[in-house]
Amino acid sequence: MISLENVSISLGDFSLKSINLDIPSGEYFSILGPTGAGKTVILELIAGLYKPDEGNILINSENVERVPPEKRGVGFVYQDYALFPHLDVYNNISFGLKLRKIPTKEIEDIVMELTELFNITHLLGRSPGTLSGGEQQRVSLARALALKPRILLMDEPLSALDPNTRKFLCREIKRIHRTYECTIVHVTHDFNEANTLATLVGIILDGQIRQVGTPDEIFKNNGDLKVSRFLGLSAS
Amino acid sequence: MGEMGIQADRGGRIMAKTGWWKDKFNLFMVSFTYIITFCIFAILMTVVLKGLPNIGRALLTKEIQFSIKLSLYTSVISTVFCIIIAMPIAYVLARTDIWAKQLISTILDLPLALPPIVSGVCLLLVFGTTGFGAWLENVGLGFVFTVKGIIISQIFTNLSFTIRVLKSTILSINPRLDSIARTLGCTPMQAFFKVTLPLSKNGIIAGTVITWARALGAFGAVLMLAGATRLRTETLPISLFLNMSTGDIDAAMAVANILIIISVISLFIFNKFGGDFIGGSRVN
Repeated sequence: MISLENVSISLGDFSLKSINLDIPSGEYFSILGPTGAGKTVILELIAGLYKPDEGNILINSENVERVPPEKRGVGFVYQDYALFPHLDVYNNISFGLKLRKIPTKEIEDIVMELTELFNITHLLGRSPGTLSGGEQQRVSLARALALKPRILLMDEPLSALDPNTRKFLCREIKRIHRTYECTIVHVTHDFNEANTLATLVGIILDGQIRQVGTPDEIFKNNGDLKVSRFLGLSAS
Repeated sequence: MGEMGIQADRGGRIMAKTGWWKDKFNLFMVSFTYIITFCIFAILMTVVLKGLPNIGRALLTKEIQFSIKLSLYTSVISTVFCIIIAMPIAYVLARTDIWAKQLISTILDLPLALPPIVSGVCLLLVFGTTGFGAWLENVGLGFVFTVKGIIISQIFTNLSFTIRVLKSTILSINPRLDSIARTLGCTPMQAFFKVTLPLSKNGIIAGTVITWARALGAFGAVLMLAGATRLRTETLPISLFLNMSTGDIDAAMAVANILIIISVISLFIFNKFGGDFIGGSRVN
């Protein structure tokens, strides 16, 4: 369970105001909101890349205020993939494993397993700059999963991809969720993505979480006028 | 922004192809560029043509050999110091929001804006007239009229520049790479050494070369702090100055040529590495 309790943070031009959010373990949680709503910052707060100005973040009931990102057990996937340009695909995926001084043979096994899962074994020696967007995103996912994180954080992982690749990766991400049994927090502005992938959806508007529910609940029944407007369910 | 750049670029080329000379304004602007470039080139060539025939002979004299050695020695040491000092500062300025950042940035830039001779006066006052300077001299770090003085002058006048080059290098690296490295298990220090530093490689090479070239040419501050003593604190620029003032034009021209050649080569290397940072932001 990931819990945000009254978390506030202001960063330059936008701020999050006392966010309260519970993400049960094993869920595929999608944070849905318009561009610039502070969705990425929520992920970065969970990852420990930012410290909240106020409030607490709990992972499995433990207050992680003093836990640095490297000890939080999270995997992170950015929209722009953020692959290390000075390392080839193999060394990108094995980056975290090498830091943990895992024996080379074991590292090779893990990398092979992941690259087979994502169908990128033929890319191992390539430099990230030579890969297509979809290929880069698969490498980025493999890198994030190599350490078997308990939480996978994804920031608009599909929005920079063409529709075909997006569809394909959607299926793969769904499979990852089943195989790895990790909690996934997926930030997106795309209703379809949230609807297809998520088991739970949270709507964020104006720096606040307005509504949380299953995709069915969110997309059918609406009390909140702002949410309805954002989802296009209400004409007023 | 990229798209606009391309359009402007295309526009420029179209202008160049479709009879730009028919427009008086364009004709003036382009001719002006050619004329100024020619003037700069001609001025340099005058020295090159006058000095080149004497270079061989000059290189054999004890004095020039001493100057070359001293210049190489001091400039290499000061460059190493500049890079080592500049890297952490550049990182802080590029990546963090520290208190009074603007003020700190301005102070660090000051030596770049000051006339080097003023920097020299400052250094001379600090090392020559204060208790701190006297204490340093007691522990073997005398900077006034010594070779160490040459090195410290070069560092003082160049450090701002090195910081600027390295800062722009780090700014060109996608900061998310650092974040990703952290989530993959890096401490801040590991992220710096495994991600930021390797990605700064080209910028560090460019910064090293240009800092070194500037150190070789450092004059004003060196003159003030270390003085101009033949065969003692006689770097290449000091040698040029001494030979000019004693009327040995041939030797002076030879030294000038050596400095020009070094500058041209460094500029070439700087452009090669400086124009093509491999920062993460470029990969996508």
